[in-house]
Amino acid sequence: MTGVSDERAIWLGRHVLPHEPQLRAWLRRRNLGGLEIDDVIQETYTRLCQAENVAHIQDARTYAFQVAGSVVIDHLRRMKVVPISSVPGMDYLEVGSEEPSPERQVIDRDELIRLAAMIARLPGKIRDVFTLRRVYGLSQREVAAKLGLAESTVEKHMAKGFLIMSEFYGHGGNAPAQPSSSRPDQPAKMER
Amino acid sequence: MSAQACPKTAQQIDAEAAEWAARMDRGPLEPDQEKLFLAWLGEDRRCMGAYGRMRAIALTSERARALGPDFDPADFIAAPTFPRRRMLQWGGAIAAMLVIGAGGAWQVLRQRGRFATGKGETKVVALKDGSVVTLNTASAIQVNYGDAMRAVELLQGEALFDVAKDTTRPFVVTAGDTNVRAVGTSFTVRRLETAPVEVLVREGVVEVSKPATGAAPVRVEANSMAVAQESDSGAIAAKPIPPAQLHRQLAWQTGQIAFEGETLAQAAAEFARYSDTRIVIDDPALAQEEIAGLFNATDPVGFAKTIAISLNARASIGEGEVRLAR
Repeated sequence: MTGVSDERAIWLGRHVLPHEPQLRAWLRRRNLGGLEIDDVIQETYTRLCQAENVAHIQDARTYAFQVAGSVVIDHLRRMKVVPISSVPGMDYLEVGSEEPSPERQVIDRDELIRLAAMIARLPGKIRDVFTLRRVYGLSQREVAAKLGLAESTVEKHMAKGFLIMSEFYGHGGNAPAQPSSSRPDQPAKMER
Repeated sequence: MSAQACPKTAQQIDAEAAEWAARMDRGPLEPDQEKLFLAWLGEDRRCMGAYGRMRAIALTSERARALGPDFDPADFIAAPTFPRRRMLQWGGAIAAMLVIGAGGAWQVLRQRGRFATGKGETKVVALKDGSVVTLNTASAIQVNYGDAMRAVELLQGEALFDVAKDTTRPFVVTAGDTNVRAVGTSFTVRRLETAPVEVLVREGVVEVSKPATGAAPVRVEANSMAVAQESDSGAIAAKPIPPAQLHRQLAWQTGQIAFEGETLAQAAAEFARYSDTRIVIDDPALAQEEIAGLFNATDPVGFAKTIAISLNARASIGEGEVRLAR
């Protein structure tokens, strides 16, 4: 009913979102035929949402690059003078060329630290709302009661939080700093 | 993309998608809200992707529960100790530091694997350091990342290398007896059986050398091409090329072949790299006709038909071949 299943959204968050800065950097070097990178990214996610099944995709990063590439190609083809009959489909995609490896756990922890840093970088009230909702797991209603805010305000803060985080994800340059290296105990603390 | 039918910018759509994701985070939609939501999704193809992305962020951020009640944002606001440029490399500086802390840098820094394409295929390989290799038709690479060097062997064919900058680990492509060394740049290497190794540099600078000859490496700058002759002298000649030609030579990236002034015979030979369907030209004069245009690399028949019209020739399709004659 939501148009995008939670299962698919979780898959996107786990397998595609972390590679978005690389994907954007790659697109930045391409002739996009007048498209904005954000357009290509959105269209790419649309195709990834609409794909019937993603369970067989073992190398989601490469897959996402391929999909983004085909978004651009489809756009460029529409602009060309010479008629091009057959558009190569996604069937040439080879999956599974990058097997999950022992570093998976390390990367997950890395992502958790990055997530913590993103939350820490949210502006004041948004950060408070986000922390209560996401770290403490309160409902939006409970957050509203605790902070003495209207529920609709809490919702607005969450929306702003998601939007800011999407910029963090999208533009690695704005991503928050890593925990200071003078805190060697930090990674261990994160393991909980 | 219906950008013309819908004047919304990607940024507007992202903001709306964030609002929907926040609404969804509050709880299930009421029936009337659901109608609004579905209507919004239908407004533009990009809406679903934008929403899926925001929902991914919303659900991924639920993992923050793992931070526990001791979470103190202040712990995570440290002044960046790496230059901004380093921060751009997702999974670069941060990941490397964390992995070293976990007791072994090699896990992230090393990567090995073989990647190949068949005739008519192209493939994008995203490597863990952020570099991206695009393989052209009938090509193969072997990736051997080590602690000191990011080594890639071009076994055959042609590949475009978009190299993530890492001054501590140079990126070296080996094609036969020729080495191409880069730090962070974008270039192609072409290794065909019938021709010397060619290096085309799109951005930055690379060094091309033939270690066996002992000669000094040749620097090749952006918008230049180097040809490594197979002669004993091992001469490497670099020359600038016009941007238009550079773009034409990279058309394969988008599954296309570009010609400008090549003969039909040369074009047929180029198509043979991408497809088993041969283009046979029965008329010597026709074979010398010069052509121009952008064509789908894997569709020699479509090419032959298109070109037949403009050259006033006839294309007849047979078993595994298409013949052009006047």
